[in-house]
Amino acid sequence: MEPAEGLNSVALSRRQISNPLGVLVLVALAAIWEVLVRFSIADVQFLPAPTEIAKAAQAEIFGGELTGRLIHTVGVTALGWVSASVIGVALGLLLGMSQTVYRYSMTSFEVTRAIPPITFAPAALLIFGFSLKMELVLVIYGGIWPALINTIGGVRAIAPELRDVGTMLRLSPVDTVRKIVFPAALPAILIGLRLGLSLCLVLAVVAEMVGNPAGLGNGLIRARQALQPALMFVYVIAAGLLGVALNAGLRLAARTLVPGNSLTELSAS
Amino acid sequence: MKRIRLDSLPGLLPLLLLLSLWELTGDPESPFFPAPSSWSQALFTRGQGDKIVPAVIDTVRTFAFGLLGATILGVVLGLSVGVSRTFGRAFGPTFEFARALPPAAIVPVATLLLGFDETMKVVVVVLAALWPILLNTSSGVQELNPILLDTVRSLRLSRTRTLLGVLLPSVMPAIVLGVRVATPIALVITLLVEYLTAVNGVGALVGEAQRTFQPARVYALIVITGLLSLVVNAGVRHLENAVQRRRVGDAWM
Repeated sequence: MEPAEGLNSVALSRRQISNPLGVLVLVALAAIWEVLVRFSIADVQFLPAPTEIAKAAQAEIFGGELTGRLIHTVGVTALGWVSASVIGVALGLLLGMSQTVYRYSMTSFEVTRAIPPITFAPAALLIFGFSLKMELVLVIYGGIWPALINTIGGVRAIAPELRDVGTMLRLSPVDTVRKIVFPAALPAILIGLRLGLSLCLVLAVVAEMVGNPAGLGNGLIRARQALQPALMFVYVIAAGLLGVALNAGLRLAARTLVPGNSLTELSAS
Repeated sequence: MKRIRLDSLPGLLPLLLLLSLWELTGDPESPFFPAPSSWSQALFTRGQGDKIVPAVIDTVRTFAFGLLGATILGVVLGLSVGVSRTFGRAFGPTFEFARALPPAAIVPVATLLLGFDETMKVVVVVLAALWPILLNTSSGVQELNPILLDTVRSLRLSRTRTLLGVLLPSVMPAIVLGVRVATPIALVITLLVEYLTAVNGVGALVGEAQRTFQPARVYALIVITGLLSLVVNAGVRHLENAVQRRRVGDAWM
């Protein structure tokens, strides 16, 4: 059994509420970029200056399509992630708790998991066409794996003594899951869900770029095709900020759910 | 090792059942689910067979250069973050943002600035696969035994010797772990870039098969990417084991 991915990497910055130096560096980088482009020191074709990007962002936010596209991507990512998490955790509990099910199915999951979810995008496109369905299917499919693998790992790592307590108390199977297995595996599950969330966002953007004509991914492709680099950067930055926001939201949720558990501070790759 | 493999065989049952069911009910001409037996044939129809091997080589090359670049950059940045708190704080938000950026979103920017070529592919792979290596290296440095660092100080080793002789070897397991986590990412992103830009490789072939409505070929190529990923991951696990075995006997940890 593989160790759950992400268990071993630690958060980049340990909860720094205010980091003036870091912000300063960001501003400085933007300033250098501005100067380089303004005075054509770095003559890269199509590279817009940060001020141009800001202007494009302003236009796109007020009276443009950014808000609508953002809502679409957030909605699909959230919906897909929740569905994927429910399926992945349920299946993971089953595989983690039943040795028989594990024995007669785990290898199938391992083999299927080896196939990068991205390569299913073309198949999903052929089956579902350029549609929302295609995007959702791809997002859910990809999001299931981290939830599944981490749940299995978390459940199988539970100390046998803890399971014995459940047997001794004659808990019903439902109560065993609810009171013992799920809480004990929760830290591992949360890491899986967090990995899944970033994967869902990536797959949503990919699906929007190649398939479903909506959302941030599509905005990005449109701006690229229309040769509007400033607008394209607006969408790139929006996608990045969305990633940061989703990560931060989940970290907050994890800390509320499992207070004081160091595992929730661990960051995913 | 052999016993473990035999043990895992029953686990293949559901997959085999699914594929058999698919074979029995599937129609080779189906636009959605062509029977598995028609897949391998679809790889070689209309003289497209000779494209497969060069495509696999292209994909592996981009993957290898991307992972190598990610490892070098990740280790250098990771050591810097680990050694200097200030460096970590200064670039924390920048890294946080770059890490949260969906790799697919980088692709249009990379093609615009770098064009449709091999360099662009490698750059995107490096930018996506770098993070686990960076994070593992920096936390590896931060978790080093303080006595080790005190020893270095009292021996008055030069900076270069500290770095190459002490720091790098002792965080090696953390680096290798980061590389292992980065490996599947690098492969996925290689395929993604190829699919999105149609610049060489297996990913480009899958995209082409999809655009020309050849579902059997798409499924066949999906199987190839699965095999590729199994081989690549097994290779990295070997590497990790080799590094860990070498470390047995290091007394001061």
